[in-house]
Amino acid sequence: MNSAPALAVEALTTEFRIEGRWHAAVRDVSFAVTRNETLALVGESGCGKSITALSIMGLVPKANGRIKSGRVVLDGRDLVGLPEAQMEKVRGGAIAMIFQEPMTSLNPVLPVGFQIQETLRYHTSLAPAQARARALELLSHVKIPSAARRFGDYPHQFSGGMRQRVMIAMALACNPRILLADEPTTALDVTIQAQVLALLAELKSEYGMAMLFITHNLGVVASIADRVAVMYAGDIIEMASVDALFARPTHPYTEALLSSIPRVDRHAGDLKPIAGQVPPITSMPQGCRYADRCPLRVAQCATMPPLVALADDATHRARCWVRAGGAALQ
Amino acid sequence: MATFGGALVALVAISALLAPWLSPHDPLEQNVLLRLAAPTAEFPLGNDSFGRDVLSRILWGGRVSLYVSTSAVLIAIVIGGALGILAGYIGGLFDRVVMGAMDVLLSFPTLVMGLLVVAMLGPTVGNLILAITLTAVAPFARIARAPTLTIKERDFVEAGRALGFSNLRIMVVHILPNVIDDVLVMAALWLATAIRTEASLSFIGLGVRPPTATWGGMIREGFENILDSPWLAIFPSIAILIVMLGLNMVGDGLRDTSDPRLRHE
Amino acid sequence: MLTYILKRLLVAIPTLLAVLTVVFFFVRIAPGDPAFIILGDQASQEALAAVRHDLGLDRPLPVQYVDFMWQEVRNVLPYTIELTVTALIIGVALGLPLGVAAAKHRNRALDYAARIFSLIGLSFPAFVSAIMLLLAFAIQLHWFPVISEAREGDPLSRVSALVLPAVNLGLIMVAYVMRVARSSMLGVLGEDYIRTARAKGVPARVVVWRHALGNALIPVVTVVGLYLGVLIGNSVLTEIVFNRPGLGKLIVNSLNQRDYTMLQGLMVVYAFIIVIVNLLTDLTYGVVDPRVRQT
Repeated sequence: MNSAPALAVEALTTEFRIEGRWHAAVRDVSFAVTRNETLALVGESGCGKSITALSIMGLVPKANGRIKSGRVVLDGRDLVGLPEAQMEKVRGGAIAMIFQEPMTSLNPVLPVGFQIQETLRYHTSLAPAQARARALELLSHVKIPSAARRFGDYPHQFSGGMRQRVMIAMALACNPRILLADEPTTALDVTIQAQVLALLAELKSEYGMAMLFITHNLGVVASIADRVAVMYAGDIIEMASVDALFARPTHPYTEALLSSIPRVDRHAGDLKPIAGQVPPITSMPQGCRYADRCPLRVAQCATMPPLVALADDATHRARCWVRAGGAALQ
Repeated sequence: MATFGGALVALVAISALLAPWLSPHDPLEQNVLLRLAAPTAEFPLGNDSFGRDVLSRILWGGRVSLYVSTSAVLIAIVIGGALGILAGYIGGLFDRVVMGAMDVLLSFPTLVMGLLVVAMLGPTVGNLILAITLTAVAPFARIARAPTLTIKERDFVEAGRALGFSNLRIMVVHILPNVIDDVLVMAALWLATAIRTEASLSFIGLGVRPPTATWGGMIREGFENILDSPWLAIFPSIAILIVMLGLNMVGDGLRDTSDPRLRHE
Repeated sequence: MLTYILKRLLVAIPTLLAVLTVVFFFVRIAPGDPAFIILGDQASQEALAAVRHDLGLDRPLPVQYVDFMWQEVRNVLPYTIELTVTALIIGVALGLPLGVAAAKHRNRALDYAARIFSLIGLSFPAFVSAIMLLLAFAIQLHWFPVISEAREGDPLSRVSALVLPAVNLGLIMVAYVMRVARSSMLGVLGEDYIRTARAKGVPARVVVWRHALGNALIPVVTVVGLYLGVLIGNSVLTEIVFNRPGLGKLIVNSLNQRDYTMLQGLMVVYAFIIVIVNLLTDLTYGVVDPRVRQT
């Protein structure tokens, strides 16, 4: 099928300084995304999925955060530790990112068309007139009605859904290898959500792009993802194809997540919230982070389980002594 | 930073309050022989153009500045704050009228308003306070109104009203505490403005009448004699500087603690 | 944009009227009939009437103002404008970059230095700093004339007479502008759209100077607009210390001489200035913030 991955993240660890000490928000995370593939990164708020994306982009706030170790490989080049000037060339060019809040993610004092055109200016050698034409093309490509007329309009003149489309146009302007989408539809109405997701899927296959889609919404995952990685407290605890994940959730957390989703065909009384809470970043347990809340906990769980493939499906991996085994249980 | 500033202000305030006991000499006592004398052991800061002790006059001048500025700002806080909260709470026509009046007042910078009032009504302490209060009321009304508007829409206020709480109680118990932070920051900064205005008016000649010692008046004297004895202008200038620096530091410090964005830890 | 301008003009008129009303009110309630004050209470009715006629107090209001005022103000206005505009330019040209730099290098040496400077700048009343400047540069160092003697037709003397007063006003303004520019930039740099710009690979310099500053300017315009009122007060004081002709000096003189007619006229000029300044501020908003243009 596809050969080299568009993006490969290897053992990435990103930490933050809180009250003088460094704590890892993302720990030893590894995954790869290939061309034309959508990998969904799923987890609850605070699990580290956004930080993972920011780390890939090199946008971790320098004031109190840093990438401690690991590699982010794009086109055979490790982005971690790249000098800022070179990183600027990569961002928006080979990798693009769109964010959650369309209402505040566009610059209010610059016209929309200009903001798209700008990306072209810094990553291509197009002359201004050509760049403008291309930006205009992109604007209509993301289905903004009357694109020509609205090219010079300002963000406040657009609705949330339309602003998100503008963001998408900006992101795709330079044909990135991979698009990082950090909850792009969470802040939108459900109907608009569907439209934006459809647009993303369409553009993705048109450009042959890879996509890392971050969300906490399993419904969205089911509709657009090819593969899924589930994160919990900074670790990836399960990774599988989307079908496999829904059919056979292996890690207890994934299982609990799926069964906590309210379903139309079930009685509300069957709702099963997950008891307990995510441990705070400043006092993470040494072993499995989920152990405290896990009904399957055994003594072994005091040490961190590795992410291992299931016996009968090499592409389905989970981080659990009980369900997925691993060397120590031998 | 706020604490250091506070210390400066306290230093000046205390020395002003204790002026009658701290002053080595009578601030009004003239001594023609010592006209414009340089600092000596007996008169540590020298003598002014009437031979009066500069140090004592500075201490007593502080009293005037302190009195005028604190009175003006306190009155402005009470009236402005009340107006702002009421306008925000009651809304409608009342709000528009009050804010319109505030806008007109806001177009007058403090010094010009001071010039107007004092020139027309006479240079008394009362008029000085009036002039400063007039310009200070509007900003306090504004900053009292803003949180009122937000809080009044909150659910717990609705709940309170449903429970039969009187409007007054809602205003005092719920709205007031939220307004106080901003008011305090403004108060520190406006105290500085008030002192500066009083000094400026005295400098122009429209402040409290001589022979009462005022910092601005002393600087004016110093200015008129600047070629003969520069320090006569310098010492009271330093006094004003210290107080204003202190107040600004307090205001800044307070603002930094209440604005999380600027703090960034 | 045109509708925006027209709307602002429309709003300006009632404000102007309100300000004028306040001014008239104040002047009218001043105790004492000016004629009495000048002649004393032994004067006859005819003498009083004559003085009133001379002062133009019996002529209709509009005529009084246009007449008296225009002579005096016309001579003096160029000096005031020259001083104010120069101070404004100094204030913005120095204050803005300093504020931006301070925000960029937050909590490092430059930031601390700039903040201390602005704190000190704000703590000097205008006349105190003017006297200090006079003492240091004119009296001690003899770099500039002690008494400003701008001679017509001699541009150099005019410039040298302008330097110290403009520096005095300008530096105070730098302090104000720098503060608001800094805090505004800090706020803007934390906004989502800056993150988007960086994610697009926009070079850091462009992010600061085009993306951030464009938004950070908005509060700066507000503060400058507000500050212009303070500037007028400060220019009065500066004109006194440096003995410069100007609107401020006229005001003070007319106060000292109890020349109420002149004073009223000057206040009218002043009211006009306020309204024009507010209008200009609003217009600048329109240029700087596209969201405002639609209202």
